[in-house]
Order: sequence, then structure tokens, then C-alpha cells
Amino acid sequence: MAIVGCALLLSACNKDRAENGNRGAIARLPWADVVSLARGSTVTWRMWRGDPSVNAYVDCWVAPRLMSDYGISLRAVEGQGPEIVNQLVVERQARARGVADLVWINGETFHNLRAADLLWGPWASRLPNAAALDSSSSIVMRDFEQPLDGWESPWGRVQFALIYDTVRTRHPPHSFAELKGWITKHPGRFTHDQQFTGVAFLTGLMYSLSGGAEKFEGGFRRALYDTASARVFGWIEDVRPDFWRSGRDYPLGVAEMHRLFANDEIDFTMSYNQNEVVTKIRQGVLQPTAHALVIADGTLANAHYVGIPFNAPNPAGAMVVANFLLSPEAQYEKLRPEVWGDGTVLDAAKLTSALRTRFESLAADPHAVPPAELARHAVPEVAPQYREHLAADWKRLVRERAP
Amino acid sequence: MWTALPISVLVFSSFGEGWFYPRLLPTHWSTAAWGELVGDRRLLRSLVISVWLALLTGGAASILGFEIGRRVSRIAVPLRYFALTAAFIPVAAPPLALGIGLQYFVLRAGLGGTLTGVWLAHSVVAIGYTTVYFIGVFAVFDRRVEEEARSLGASPLVTLARVTLPLHRRQLAEAFLLGFLVSWAQVPLTLLIGQGAVESLATSVMSYAHAGQDHLASVAGLLLTLPALVLMGLVGSSIRRLAVATV
Amino acid sequence: MIADKRSLTRLFPIALVALPPLLGLGYALSASLGLSGVANGGLTLQYLREVIASHTTWAAVGWTLWIATASTVFATLAAVLLAATFRAESTADRIGRMVAVLPLPIPHVVAALASLLILGQSGLLSRFANTAGMFSTPAQMPPLVYDRLGIGLIFALVWKEIPFLALIAFTVLKSRGGLLEESARSLGANRLQTFLYATWPVLWRGMLPGVVAVATFVAGSYETAALLAPSRPLALPLLTMERYTDGAMELRPDAFVLAGFSLLVSLAAVAIYGAMIARAENFK
Repeated sequence: MAIVGCALLLSACNKDRAENGNRGAIARLPWADVVSLARGSTVTWRMWRGDPSVNAYVDCWVAPRLMSDYGISLRAVEGQGPEIVNQLVVERQARARGVADLVWINGETFHNLRAADLLWGPWASRLPNAAALDSSSSIVMRDFEQPLDGWESPWGRVQFALIYDTVRTRHPPHSFAELKGWITKHPGRFTHDQQFTGVAFLTGLMYSLSGGAEKFEGGFRRALYDTASARVFGWIEDVRPDFWRSGRDYPLGVAEMHRLFANDEIDFTMSYNQNEVVTKIRQGVLQPTAHALVIADGTLANAHYVGIPFNAPNPAGAMVVANFLLSPEAQYEKLRPEVWGDGTVLDAAKLTSALRTRFESLAADPHAVPPAELARHAVPEVAPQYREHLAADWKRLVRERAP
Repeated sequence: MWTALPISVLVFSSFGEGWFYPRLLPTHWSTAAWGELVGDRRLLRSLVISVWLALLTGGAASILGFEIGRRVSRIAVPLRYFALTAAFIPVAAPPLALGIGLQYFVLRAGLGGTLTGVWLAHSVVAIGYTTVYFIGVFAVFDRRVEEEARSLGASPLVTLARVTLPLHRRQLAEAFLLGFLVSWAQVPLTLLIGQGAVESLATSVMSYAHAGQDHLASVAGLLLTLPALVLMGLVGSSIRRLAVATV
Repeated sequence: MIADKRSLTRLFPIALVALPPLLGLGYALSASLGLSGVANGGLTLQYLREVIASHTTWAAVGWTLWIATASTVFATLAAVLLAATFRAESTADRIGRMVAVLPLPIPHVVAALASLLILGQSGLLSRFANTAGMFSTPAQMPPLVYDRLGIGLIFALVWKEIPFLALIAFTVLKSRGGLLEESARSLGANRLQTFLYATWPVLWRGMLPGVVAVATFVAGSYETAALLAPSRPLALPLLTMERYTDGAMELRPDAFVLAGFSLLVSLAAVAIYGAMIARAENFK
């Protein structure tokens, strides 16, 4: 058994060196060569698989077209931010074979991956479809204030929204101040989750209490964070007794929140995707009377991306997939409310007039928020350290401390 | 009632739509969630993977457990208890901690995120169960049959193949079932060693539940339960023998 | 005589069974000490100290112990009750025994999901209460999942462990119960006395290994806690997983400490089990 182990190790090391050499070359190939290199290969894509609508789009629309147009077999598997970082670190340490070719990431994950040098690249600027990107948008071209520099390719964009029930809540609050008043008047009917979306809520609150997101631009500043977060946690402590379960327990993730909301335990849920309410009603997770709502103080808008890990076995295939995802057809299909409702990262002005009309004529679903209103309240993400510290401090100061 | 209620709830949830508080029954019934079995290839794929993993684990565990249990039973009594205790180690080890400890080795061998790696991890646990089982089986096995065959001139290998194995056909089937179930229901090991690339039916139940997709989680849960119940029924009354091994 | 050479060589096959978990334990321990793993900066007690000093660790251990104890006690009592009730060979008793054991092959994750749907504040039980006029909103229903006491979690675990313990109890009673009880009866003991002095000791001694097994298993069960346990106090398996998948890698060594600890505890339980069966054999 020891001999087998050694043999495996040796072969893995040799393969590693060979693959690294190859990967470097791939980044410099002309596009046609990349496509032919990828033909007939399999691409393993680690992405969040918790939403059947997203899965249906990827498995039933994207995958067959990749097969017929490029001969690529797409295999989407479950994996989210922290797991992906963790996996890559462990794989590097054990000098193991890479498993994922493409990963769906943004924000903190991108930051952590770059910091630990776990991504392969730069490659994204070589994609032909990248020419149509909305390059003037800071939301698309900067991931939580970090420049992309070709290390990840944009895929879609979303905006944070609250979700409420039009029958149960006839006069929903429209600002954080109004929300505070609403919570006090309706004790036990509001909460936020412990993960990504909940932290987004806290971040939006932080912007609002400190006079706007502009104050936070330009990198992480400790002093600013300390004063701003103190205000956030002060606000929380004020309303905490009126939270669901008196602020002692919090739903783990946004899915649990949807469940609570749909079953009349709380009156608000949240989502990072303003169109999620549409797909969730269709999936039977939320009741048909649900509706999206943006806070007038500003809601976070951000984009999500795809990256290629440092040890991806098939980077060429991954590049072709990323390029396909940026194609106008794929972006349009994704934008349709009946499919996913995920915003496009393309600049409609850069498309042909026929395509442009299609994009613009895509009417928003009545349950969602009209795009104009969305754009008016959109606020960009800032340096990821703010969120990371907010999340850690929330766990320490709020979750761990009994009221 | 106690036994049936949880299963019935899952059945309702998988066939129902619009089942929100305070409704006792879903607003209307539909097979949409079950339709996902065909539509969303994820469910189907996880089912196939689970079946395959469980079959392989059952096979490996029953064969190895048989052989190891047989040899252990030839050890003199005091040391035999040491062996029995040692066999329990993989049974008692919490799968999560076990996965954390072994992940490095699996990755080093290049098996991370592969079916083989997950199968090996499942087998580590399953072999513990089947070894314990067979130690119990061979403890009450009357050796004289083997001895007679040997005295008639049969080699050890022939004795094994022609005498011992056939006598233990049912036990092998039960051990196979044991290994099968251990793999079938396993969650943490699949999560840690499979790294999302290997998704079993059991991990998909958790995944759907965490994503708030209760209908699909129930479909997956029922798919996970029914074969287990059926298999138990088939090998049913002999399960008592399993208990004897631990008692 | 006890450890002659032949017997020792015969132990090698067992190494195949026991080695992987011990290897895992070894790695976890060495990573806890900083000798391996991502943060391998050399031998250090830093991570051990961090974990021991952290309040969350002890809350997790204590809470998990509570869950393990409560579930095991309830399941054992229920199993004993079932065994005492369905003793005979009548059809009713046989059906009773079969029904009691029925949930045995059902995976824990399924039991957890069903419990979630039934015991949630907006779950089936709550809706029954609502229909019966007891509560009008989900908030009035006492929280049974994600709750401090872990009632829903205990319920799911008990539901799954009763078949296992009941099976053992039935077997024990069938194979060993008869003789002692007959003697007790013939000496003039009534039903209660027979139970207390003849049935119960036999049952207990026969079930004890199984009880230890159940307690260990329940304490380490990840999937049930993942679906039903609260976020504070955090159950030990959940805490371990959270540390292991920490995004910034800083808390990962803590996970190895916790995993190593869990493995050591299970090893201790196995040792206790070993001692018990050795004694049980002598008892026979």
C-alpha cells in the first residue's frame, strides 16, 4: 500500500508540472485554438445549486448548447464561496489534482482567492464576448471595489431587495427609519439571516446610518469602520427585543427566512436578487401575494462572476464556457423573469439594434421592482473587509450575547 | 402512527403545492416535484450515484468483513475481544471528524471529489460494521464442518469456497445490506470527501432542505427511504441476528 | 498463552479495519499541534489554547452532551417499555415488535427533514393546534426546532434510536430473560418485583453496549443537527464544520482540535464498550 501511495504521489507531481506549463500557454493562445482545444472536453463548474431555476437554466439551456455548439460537456456541481476557498487551499496543500474548472464567485470569495493566489489568470479579457461588457459600470467592472484585471469574468448582476406580503403588510416601510418604526409596532415579525444576505442588510444599514455609501469608498479604513459599525450595532440593539424570537435566534440562511415568511412567522424576507420573488413564487416557495421592495436609502447592487482555479484541469474549456455565458443570447435568456431574472452585465448600447430591442422590451414581472426604480436606488459594494468585519463582529457582539 | 407520520408528511410535501401555514393539507396536489426527477437531472444523477456507491460499499464491506471476521474468530479468546473492540473503532468514530482527519490523505492520493474516494471513505465505516457482524457470526459457527473438509484432503482455499462460503450465504446478504445502508444514508463523509462533485441522494436532501426547497427535499427523502425499507423487508427477520452480534 | 505469536499475526487483518480511523485521528491531532495542515508553522499549543479558552467550545460540548444524554435516556426507556410490552409470541406482539423496529433503515437525514416539517413553528403540529383553536399565529407555538433545548432534535434522534435499542432489547429478553424471570415468579414475586429484580438487570446489562453506542453516535451526528439545531448554542458537529470551512482559513486548525477531540472521545467509548463486553461474557 505504501508503494502504491508513493507511485501516485510521483505521478501527481509530474502531472502538476506539466499542467502548469500548459496552462500558461493556454492564456496566450488565439481564441480559435482555445475553442478547438476545448472541443470534446468536460468542464466541471462549482456553483451554488440551491435554486432549481438557476439549475434549470444551467442544466437545460446552457449545457445542451455548449454540447451542440462547442462539443463541451458541462458538469455543474455544488459549491459556495467559503467551501471553494477551503477546497482549493487543501488541494494545494496536499498537492492534489484539481477538480473544478470554473467557479461561481464574487466579493469576499474573490478577495480571499486572490489573496491566497488560488486563481488562474489573467484570462477574462481574452474572451471575444467581453467586448460587449458594460465597462462603464463600476458595479460590473469592480468586484467589491477590487479591479477584475482579468482574473474573473462577469456573469450577472443583482440588487438587494426586501420581500413582503401585499395582503399582510398594506403599508410597508420604505426607509431604514420607517423600518425601525415598523419593527417596534410589529414585534416578533422581522429578522435577518446569518449568512450572505443578512450581512448585506447590515451593510446597507451601515451606509444609511453613516450618510451614504460614498463615505466608504476608497478602500478599508479601520477608524471609519469602527464608528460606522458602532452605529449599526446600536441600531440593532435598540430594535433587537422586537425582532423575531426576541432577537435571540436567527435563521441560518435566506432559505430558512423564506420558509418563515411564507408560513406567516415573519412579515419580511430578503434577497440579494430583486427578481428572486418571481422565481420563488413560481417554485411554490413563496405565496403569490409576495412582492419586492427596495429601501429608498439605497440598496446594494452587485455583480457576480466566474473564475478559474489555479489547478483547473481544463482551463480552455472553462474559458469557452465563460465566453458563452457572456453571449447576448445567454444573457437575454438569463434575464427573462420566467427563467431566472438575473441582470445582464452587457451594455445594451454595444449590441446590434435587433438585440438591443429584445433586451429593452423585456418587461419586468409585476411582483418585482421596475428597473428604473431599481437603478435610482442602486448603491455599489465597497471593500470586502467591511463586510467581513461586520459579519464577524455580528457573530461576536449580537449572536453570542444573550439580550 | 408514530412511525407512519413522518413518512406521510414527506409524501404530502412531495405531492402538494401551496402548503403554507395554517393549512393542514396542501392547496392542491401535483406531481410537479416528482417531475423534477426527470427534468432536473440533479435528482436523477444523485440517485444513480447513491445506488452505485451503496452497491460498491456493500460488496466491499461484506467480502472483507467476512474474511476478517473469519480470521479473527480463530484468535484465542482474550485477544479476540481486543480485535472486536478494534473493529468498533470505525463504527464509533463520528463521520464528520473522521472525514476531517482523512481528507488530507484522500486528496494526496488524488481521489478528492471522485466516486472512488467517497466509496473508500464509506467503506472504511462499513467494514467496521460488517467485521463486527461477522465476528459475531463466526463466534457461533461450528468449525467442525470445516475441519471435516480439511481432514478429507481439501485445501484451505477449497474449504473456503466449497464449505464455508455457501454456509454463510444469508449472512453475506445481510452484511451486504448493512454496508449498503451505511453508504446509502451517509452524509458528512460524502460532503467532505466528495467536495460537492459527488452528490449523493442523502446530501441532496440536506442541500434542498437548506435551500428551502421543501418539495424537492421531500421527493429526495422519499427516494432515500423507500428502497431502504424495501431492502430491510426482504432481509427482514434475520436482522435480529445483527443485534445478537452486538449483544 | 494470551498473546502468542500466531494470535498476534492473526490480528493484522483487524489493522485494516482499525487503521484508517486511527490514521485520521493521528492527522487531526498533528494538525491541532501545528505539525501539519494548512497552518503548519511548527509545534505549537496555540490552537489547543484557543479552543479551550473559547466559550463557544464549552457551550457546544455541554449542549451536545445534553442532547446525547436526553435522547439516549428517552430512547432507552421507550425501548425497555416496548420490550416489556411486546414480549409474547402472539400476532399482536409480533406486529408490535415489527412496527417498533420499522424506522431502523430510515436515514437520519430523512428523520430530520420530517421533524422539521412537523415540529416547526409553522409545521404540521402547529397547524393542528391552530385548527383546534389553540394558537392563531405560528409565533404562539413554542419553538421546537432551532430552539435552546433542542427538543425537535431530540425528538428526531429518539425516533431513530428507539428501533435500534428496541431490537436489542427484544433480543436480550428473548434469549436471556426467561430463566431468571421464571425463577423470580416461582419464588412468589409479583409483576413489578419480577420486572425490577429479574427483567431490568438482564435488560440493562444486555443493552448497555448498545446504549453507549447510541450515545456516541448521537453526539457526533451532523445531519440531524444541521437541520434542526439552533445557532446558539451551536452543537459540536456544527461548530466543527463551521471552523473547518472558515473562509479566511484562520479558524481551520481549531476544527482539527475539535475533530481530534471527538475522535478521542469515541475511542474512549469504544474502550469502555470493550471492557463491558468482556465482562458480559464472564457474566454469561
